[in-house]
Amino acid sequence: MADHSRPALKPALAVLGTLTALGLMGPFLANDKPLLVSDEAGRLSFPAAAGFPVVEALFGGPGEDSGRSAEPPPAGSWVLWPPVRYSYRGVALQEALLSPSSRHLMGTDALGRDILARVLNGASISLLVGFGATLVSLALGGLLGGAAGLRGGLSDLLLGRIIEVLGCFPPFLLAMALVAVSGGAGLPAVTLAIGIGRTAAAARFVRGEVLRFRGGVAWSAARSTGSSLPGILLRHILPLIAPPLLVQTVFGMAQAILLESGLSFLGVGLQPPIPSWGMVLAEGRATLEAAWWPILFPSLALALTLGSLAWAAERGTTERHP
Amino acid sequence: MAGYFLRRVLGIVPTLLGVSLLAFGLLNVLPSDPVLTWSEAGAPMSAEGMERLRRELETDRTIAARYGDWLLHAAQLDFGRSLRDSRPVLELVGEALPWTLLLNLSAVLAIYGLALPLGWAGSRRPGGVPDRAARCLLIVAYVVPPFAAALLLQRLFSVRLRILPLQGVTGGEAAGGAREAIDLALHLVLPTLCLALSGWAFAAHFARATFRTLLDAGHLAAARSRGLAGLRLAWHFAPNAAAPFVSLLGAIVPGLLAGSVVVEEIFSWPGMGRLLLRSVDGRDYPVVLALLLFSAAAVLLGQLLIDLIYPALDPRLRDVIGSEASVRG
Repeated sequence: MADHSRPALKPALAVLGTLTALGLMGPFLANDKPLLVSDEAGRLSFPAAAGFPVVEALFGGPGEDSGRSAEPPPAGSWVLWPPVRYSYRGVALQEALLSPSSRHLMGTDALGRDILARVLNGASISLLVGFGATLVSLALGGLLGGAAGLRGGLSDLLLGRIIEVLGCFPPFLLAMALVAVSGGAGLPAVTLAIGIGRTAAAARFVRGEVLRFRGGVAWSAARSTGSSLPGILLRHILPLIAPPLLVQTVFGMAQAILLESGLSFLGVGLQPPIPSWGMVLAEGRATLEAAWWPILFPSLALALTLGSLAWAAERGTTERHP
Repeated sequence: MAGYFLRRVLGIVPTLLGVSLLAFGLLNVLPSDPVLTWSEAGAPMSAEGMERLRRELETDRTIAARYGDWLLHAAQLDFGRSLRDSRPVLELVGEALPWTLLLNLSAVLAIYGLALPLGWAGSRRPGGVPDRAARCLLIVAYVVPPFAAALLLQRLFSVRLRILPLQGVTGGEAAGGAREAIDLALHLVLPTLCLALSGWAFAAHFARATFRTLLDAGHLAAARSRGLAGLRLAWHFAPNAAAPFVSLLGAIVPGLLAGSVVVEEIFSWPGMGRLLLRSVDGRDYPVVLALLLFSAAAVLLGQLLIDLIYPALDPRLRDVIGSEASVRG
């Protein structure tokens, strides 16, 4: 395989890295707790590090804040604040629906929460669900598609049918039904449901790649040395398909993020106060007649994320098939 | 040839069975107890009320027995009754189906109506101004999720400019005739736009690539040199171009189905997507099951359409099918 036929992985890695960094930094970029507090004795504490939206989504947070603490720091101490001094769930009804200004760059929503803080903190949710769901779909799809492609014959026929059946359900509808029947619409349930919804696509991809490999010389070479089938999959095929797999992951993440925001938008996904972008948009929909900022900025965040992921995936595929 | 058609049509039967098994299993195996969910969700029930509902749902019978029963009824197009208002599922679906068909048909027309000219322009002069403008437009269409686009368009056209209705299917007054048709058309504009959004990028990309391969083909030059031009040239190529564009329909169906849920909910469009969402919310399993089955069947039919239309339009494929009949199960 000549070098120029390899996919361009740099865009994919760069986009994934940037988004991950942004997602991780959410609570440090926008928080009503200081980043760093040094009291009179010079002891340091990091109040902001406790408030990860992902952690609160998984293990339950303290609920919606009311009001913001603004006691002046004692003498001799200093405080380092994040750039945006609002948390994603700090309710302030007297500041409801303020249009964008220097205080609230993206304005506030109907409960007076800072939209910039919600958008920044929502990034980690989208990314976590997107990444988690893609891992689930690749694991399940890899198992199904890998087994189908490797064993061939009757197994391929049977597993192929299963993949075909699964692929008949539009991922969004399947994920929706799964979330509904699983009862709790928590982060793990939503991630799993989206992952299962997208399994068929992943399985088709893996099966296709494995079948392509099976047609080649490398297959007979590996077989003749007595390698086991899972061994071949892991040691021979996986390194070969790693680059397209990465591209597929990036593409899958965009799809999963889109699914999650759609589910949360419809109210069958994550539940408040988790600042999922879809949910922020759904809350903005309630005040559609009065304000444009609660719908514009989360839309932009989603569009930018999906766009950069799509761009990275596109670069990967076009370079691969020049 | 007839054998191939028959095999393909019969081939969807086991898949459809698998689809029904999977859908039924999903809705019945998972731990969520609908009766308990209902009584917790604001409708407290007496013990005997819950007992009666359980009997109605037959939760005491094995899944296999219930599936067999359901399948037998479903084969006779009886999908049971809604758990919420006891109306036959088929009746609910029948009420919603025309609306969904109308919306989806109009979205398909919008997708083809824009994607084909854009793809054509792009293929004639790749990298030219129309090509690049189209690509920019389509990138926007691709990255803005339909629900976000719907809100932004509602805000712009219904709230600010007040030229298009915010939601619903009619303005209320029963005008009749042309006025009513115009009213409905106006209500269709925004939902159509939002539903078509996700399909445009793919369709235009597809159209561009298809037209390019068609234009590159040697027989185009041959036809041109024979003096064919304009419409007659286009007519000459229609059969070749038709097959890929029919298959495009199969490819965009799943996206349209999923998009319908979101778009219908936002625009209060009384179609199947909204019905599905309401049924999922209310744990109305018979309706959810039937709708899942129908959408999977629609996807399957889309694929079947591709498989049937390709050989019908392309004589070359008929030979291939004839010689490889045993391979294509």
